[in-house]
Amino acid sequence: METTYEFAEKFRDQVLRCSSCGFCRAVCPVFGITKRPAFNARGKMLVLKEVMAGNIPLNDELIETLFQCTTCAACANNCPSGVNVPEIIKSVRKDMVHLGTCHPAFVGMNQVLETSPNIYGEPGPPDFERERNRKAQYVFFVGCVGSYREEEATEETLALLDRQQVDFTLIDEACCSGVLEDLGYTIQKNHVQTNLDRILATGCRTVLTGCPYCFRTFNEKPEYADLKKQRIDVVHISQFLSDIDFGVQTDKKVTYHDPCDLGRHAGIYEEPRKTIQKIASNFVELPSNRANALCCGAGGGVRGAYAANSIAMARRRLAEVEAVGADVLLTECNSCVHNLSNAKLRAQKFKIYTTAQFINHLLEEA
Amino acid sequence: MDRNVKESLKEIVGAENFSDSLIDLIAYAKDASEYRHRPDAAVWPVTTDQVSALLKLANQEKFTIVPRGAGTSLAGLAVPERGGLIMDMGRMDKILEINIEDRLVVVQPGVVYADLDKKLSPHGFSFPPDPASGSVCTLGGNVATNAGGIKGAKYGTTKDYVLALEVVLADGSFMRTGSRCMKTSSGYDMTRLFVGSEGTLGVITEITLKINPKPPLLSTAMAMFDDLEDAGRAISQIMHSGILPCALEIVDQQTLKAINQNTPLNLPEVEAILLAETDGYTREETEYQIDKVVEIFQRNRASMIRRADNRQEAETLWTARKTAYGVMARINNNLFVEDLAVPMSKVPEMLRAISDLAKKYNLVIPTVGHAGDGNLHPVISFDGTKPEEVHRVEQASAELFEKVIRLGGTLTGEHGIGLAKARFMGMEHDAKSMEYMRGIKRLFDPNNILNPGKMALEAG
Repeated sequence: METTYEFAEKFRDQVLRCSSCGFCRAVCPVFGITKRPAFNARGKMLVLKEVMAGNIPLNDELIETLFQCTTCAACANNCPSGVNVPEIIKSVRKDMVHLGTCHPAFVGMNQVLETSPNIYGEPGPPDFERERNRKAQYVFFVGCVGSYREEEATEETLALLDRQQVDFTLIDEACCSGVLEDLGYTIQKNHVQTNLDRILATGCRTVLTGCPYCFRTFNEKPEYADLKKQRIDVVHISQFLSDIDFGVQTDKKVTYHDPCDLGRHAGIYEEPRKTIQKIASNFVELPSNRANALCCGAGGGVRGAYAANSIAMARRRLAEVEAVGADVLLTECNSCVHNLSNAKLRAQKFKIYTTAQFINHLLEEA
Repeated sequence: MDRNVKESLKEIVGAENFSDSLIDLIAYAKDASEYRHRPDAAVWPVTTDQVSALLKLANQEKFTIVPRGAGTSLAGLAVPERGGLIMDMGRMDKILEINIEDRLVVVQPGVVYADLDKKLSPHGFSFPPDPASGSVCTLGGNVATNAGGIKGAKYGTTKDYVLALEVVLADGSFMRTGSRCMKTSSGYDMTRLFVGSEGTLGVITEITLKINPKPPLLSTAMAMFDDLEDAGRAISQIMHSGILPCALEIVDQQTLKAINQNTPLNLPEVEAILLAETDGYTREETEYQIDKVVEIFQRNRASMIRRADNRQEAETLWTARKTAYGVMARINNNLFVEDLAVPMSKVPEMLRAISDLAKKYNLVIPTVGHAGDGNLHPVISFDGTKPEEVHRVEQASAELFEKVIRLGGTLTGEHGIGLAKARFMGMEHDAKSMEYMRGIKRLFDPNNILNPGKMALEAG
């Protein structure tokens, strides 16, 4: 008997098109650390084929594979059959949540965001000692990780913007809440409204985001379409910085980690490199980079739900940094910085920063 | 599989290396072929002693074991047709020794082909077979299927590089075959017996491979032929010209049409494209060889010839060949990647026969192949949800292999027999051969616990 699920209605052809070649084994970060075929994209598609055929129900037994995916899209990027695995995974998670089957960590995050304006359930955003919600040309939208976990990186990014005399303001932001769509839930309309109201109230022309995920949410989710209607550009900080000449240099060996949300999902590979190469003549690529970059292991809810595996994925990425002998690892995502920093071993002497943070350091030292 | 057996399995490998979770049973039900059957449980052994204990238990309790690498088999070699235990060798993935002085490496079976390649590359060496699934396939799987790749004509296949093996036999005992020497004439070649044995005789736990110096320079040329016979003649003339290209690939008209329907490449839909690559240590050397190849292209009325001046241009020339699999995988829900080989002179006749079969059974069968060694991959794409279409595909396959054998060919050049071609074994091998193969199987595995149902080792 065939059972109808929303994911099947949307993605039936794609799931069936997976030819089980197994090439996703080469790039799946979860498979890379577990060596368990049930976790890579082929395993997930085989499970979904059985679900679509009505052979097995979409129940708790499947949580461990269907919720253990960082949605990094490395598989989709390498799939000969063109199967867009992350989109399928997000869709099937919605069916599962609808049926009342979900990873407890994801249930928790949704509950937190029902009442709290951030994913950590912490009281209001820090003000970074700045007047908020003022009229300005730019809004700098920090994002949850940058506000509550990687505050130092954020402070230095803001300091850098000050140095460049950028007319920007912070707002009393709420979580963009796009992440809920990845975890099987739906975006929080009240948070969307809060953000839209406060952004529009500043009269800004551009929203700068510190977080590639917020960047994607604002640009891609229909709930935020008002920004486009009001002709407000949403730009990631890495794009903004790439046009600036900072006039500082480091002789340290610098490398760069492509965040999945900025790279594979948004196609932004060159701007960060343009900036870094201006400040670091000794720049070296990681063995896997750009569209082939290894995921840091934090995405898709995996850091919250499968912490040990998330850290193991980060360690694999850090081993690449060690292999190229870099002194500094730069990236453009606070969530990547957070996970990679947590995973870094004491013996690994290199430093991890966002690009903006590092540039501000250099300017301070200059 | 009863609970006590599962408990014993957990005791042997540890709970973290055992699973009977639904998600694992589903993931192990399939490889890259169209066959599917769930195992009862799966283990990830991490030591040779564990492999031995597992086999001893299986032999006592009479459950079946299917050793598995990356599960990229296109012929169902890794599908547990009768349930039992999947033994995933993926966690035995250490490169034990790289010995450039003796020109060999010693590896565990779960090492991925590309990972060994990365380690050998700085030394200027490689293990040459270069299978298309090299980014994921394991060396244990390469040995068990006698895997090949695009360099077969010049560098041979896996069997030409396996010097020695450690194998755990069905009763859990160990056997060491071969030697670390480049040459040996000592006794029966037990090593070769295991190469291509598809997990039916024992479980390979250590592999000693000969490695080759890898010429760093390549020259590439591509030619289009309006007439398939001209391409066929060119192949045959190249292969007896004294020049040995390291790759000589063919892409047929159906493939070009499929590529054009699914990509913006807009390739000329000629009857065949040939792609040749020559390797060497100096530019003069590779160019001298490719000049000869191009001369032969010209002599055989190639309608267009292009040469690459650098690697980037070479990549462009390779586009049609390298896009082929992806395009074919997108044509329909299911695909059989066939793997026949015929004597080189029969390549054009074989291609004609494939094209005739496609018409007769109303199927789309694009073909690519390693023309330099007569190994062709007709790819039959179909919709597995339509029984009538599946039936036509089966009929066409049967007829295809009758033709292959009539031309003096073989059922498989590099993918193995597995489930896909078991029913055709008697066509290629005479009754005596089959009798002796079955006898060897019984000698090694009297209880038939090792990957049963493959290679037609039970019938007759």
